Amino acid sequence: MSDYAGVPGVVETRESFGEVTLVVDPARLIEACTVLRDDHGFNFLADIAPADYLGWGEGPVAGYIGTAGGRDLNDPGSRGLARVPDPKPKRFSISYHLLRVSDDPARVRVQIWLEDGEPVASVLPVWPAADWFEREAFDMFGFRFEGHDNLVRILMPEDWEGHPLRKDYPLGGEPVRFSDED
Amino acid sequence: MAEGSAQLALKRELPVLVSDRPLAKAGLQSERVLMPDQGPGVFEREVQEIEDALLLTTVEKAVAWAQTHAMWPDTFGLACCAIEMMSVVSSRYDIARFGMERFSSSPRQADLLIVSGRVTHKMAAPLRQVYDQMLEPKWVIAMGACASSGGMFNNYTILQGVDKIVPVDIHVPGCPPRPEALMEGIIRLHEKIRGGVPPAYSIRGVAE
Amino acid sequence: MSTLPSTRVYEGTRIPSPVPTILEVDPEKHRLEDILRVNFGPNHPSTHGVLRLVVDLDGETVAGIRAVIGYLHTGFEKNMEHKSWWKSVTYAPRMDYVAFHANELLYVLAIEKLLGIEVPPRAVWARMAMAELNRIHSHLVWLGTSALELGAISLFWYCFDDRDAILDLFEMAGGTRMHTRYVQVGGIAEDLPPGFVAEARKFCAQMPKSVDEYEAILDRNAIWLERTKGVGLLSADDALALAQSGPMLRSTGVDWDLRRNTPYLAYDEVEFDVPVYGGGDVYDRYRVHMDEMRESVRIIDQCLDKLETTEGMPWIADDRKVVLPPRHELHTSMESLIHHFKIVTEGFTVPEGEVYVAIESPRGEAGCYLVSDGGARPWRVKFRAPSFAALQATATIVQGLLVADLIAAGGSLDPVMGDADR
Repeated sequence: MSDYAGVPGVVETRESFGEVTLVVDPARLIEACTVLRDDHGFNFLADIAPADYLGWGEGPVAGYIGTAGGRDLNDPGSRGLARVPDPKPKRFSISYHLLRVSDDPARVRVQIWLEDGEPVASVLPVWPAADWFEREAFDMFGFRFEGHDNLVRILMPEDWEGHPLRKDYPLGGEPVRFSDED
Repeated sequence: MAEGSAQLALKRELPVLVSDRPLAKAGLQSERVLMPDQGPGVFEREVQEIEDALLLTTVEKAVAWAQTHAMWPDTFGLACCAIEMMSVVSSRYDIARFGMERFSSSPRQADLLIVSGRVTHKMAAPLRQVYDQMLEPKWVIAMGACASSGGMFNNYTILQGVDKIVPVDIHVPGCPPRPEALMEGIIRLHEKIRGGVPPAYSIRGVAE
Repeated sequence: MSTLPSTRVYEGTRIPSPVPTILEVDPEKHRLEDILRVNFGPNHPSTHGVLRLVVDLDGETVAGIRAVIGYLHTGFEKNMEHKSWWKSVTYAPRMDYVAFHANELLYVLAIEKLLGIEVPPRAVWARMAMAELNRIHSHLVWLGTSALELGAISLFWYCFDDRDAILDLFEMAGGTRMHTRYVQVGGIAEDLPPGFVAEARKFCAQMPKSVDEYEAILDRNAIWLERTKGVGLLSADDALALAQSGPMLRSTGVDWDLRRNTPYLAYDEVEFDVPVYGGGDVYDRYRVHMDEMRESVRIIDQCLDKLETTEGMPWIADDRKVVLPPRHELHTSMESLIHHFKIVTEGFTVPEGEVYVAIESPRGEAGCYLVSDGGARPWRVKFRAPSFAALQATATIVQGLLVADLIAAGGSLDPVMGDADR
């Protein structure tokens, strides 16, 4: 973890499940990514993975009716999982999974948090592989990456309205009788 | 079978020379009906010789035989079912036995559209375009659960059944259907055609 | 074992700019009036699924290209958010439908990482054997279809015949030829049937001879060499910049294989080599695929040895909060009954957290980013599809090629559209 002390813009460093997550200020994303690529050797952008946390912690958790205010649900019997998760700082997170392809392999996750409509810089100048990953993030979530010259839909038809992977976008499909799946 | 063929309309009931030969079944009767006690004469014997030498059928049956024995599928492999469709072409399951190994990339020369895989809304327009480019008569097999009904993907992007945009003759269930299942579907289609059932576009439109 | 590239197939970078995935027509090299825009539509005989290439042709030369995908976007990620953990595993193999076991394995490894559950050794070896069988399967489908596109039509039947032998093994273990859903959280769904190891050994004895046959047909075939050597060049720097992995990366000279560099399952306990070729063209990708088939047979043999020694040992973890108890226990044990009920109705729950797991699928690095909120359903599943990344390299590798070479280069990327579009 101290390996990444020199990376600019890091707000928080987390380590869990054997993985290092660097939470970075979105305004300094390109700086951080450039330093990681040049100084730390992360030459491979594996993935850009956005996530929408709308409704996080509000639904029933582990079969118990959990409330956001929180009863103490830390009862044994459910492996301690019956607990409302901690709220997230903002609605969306974008995780950049980086890999160092070399004799000393390493993985790191650069994570930024944003609200709906906040601008985010495109890391296309750092890794050309970001092109389609960012288009997919735009298509599925609606992020407008600044600096990306070809931000058009990639998976949905070009005239589609709405961003399907947002939590407020319905699953769609046809209603099926006698099925209580949503 | 051909009920429209002419039959001698006699006023009185006469015993008919019972024959199960094709021409008799088609309605041909000889003047020997007037002499019921006597057996087949020269004419009947000559007709039987000719029948033995030739194959008699109706035009519909002949055309159906030709259609089913060399039905060319169109290469419309979309997803996992396409791999099993390629399996049908492979030597173990060998669709060439049915004359169907020539998958036509051009829909103009294809008779059968095997929609194998999930159809998205983006792909629906090219699918319909390919179907329209095929010349009649044409048949559609919806292979797999996704083509038949949307499969396990009941969501914003998958067409819930390809019969919403093209009329389907045979649905083959499975995820993916085994190559034998697809062959069963193809053979049933052949039986339908030989039985005289018209292609789906003439008996039904697309689903709601 | 240096992973740093040692050969440079061309100087500098050929990645188009400003947009890396769109090759624009260069007005200095081509007269714009000569350009013909041709659509290799989503339905075309090159059986790599529904990929659409919009190609600008100057005569027979490719002057510009752009790949359009999305014709098979199935909404896997959104569907999986609405299903319980158990049910969502069924979705995973249908993405990369040629390497189905790799996808299942990937997703289940991610769930197990969050759960912190320990998988028994027999299950690990069985998963590895299946994964390598799947690798051979995927390479056979690739070889069969790529050779078919380049005109070596008979190879299609040879490869699919061998593939049927592999599918017989899958059917023996998992019940169905494809999409076996054999990997279960905690281990494998059912123990390997009694005759499996013997049948698999027969297959392993036969497979190298088949690979020899394929190489005998293609390796020194003048047409094959003409059509694949020097076609679709990609340098190592460009490959890394474009996030290429798997055979695409190893054909450019970069010695990188997740099975060896960041081992998962028990790959650090088996011996195998990683084929690396430096030419960066379609021929080297073909060589990588062929050598990988041989290496996979080696790995399967070693896994079968281990499976024989672990005969009779448990094939799934013992954790009753996650894994169904054996049925005979339901008659006698109250706790087993309760566990069974909870797992079947609500499903098990996975602790809160986020993980990223990557495995070496036959196409390259396949990754799964999994976020759980502690509940009975995944919160967010994002799959890193190797085909998606591979198709980004289309604009780089087709520069200066003829139309026929475009087919060869596109095939060598090994895209599976279910994987690319998810």
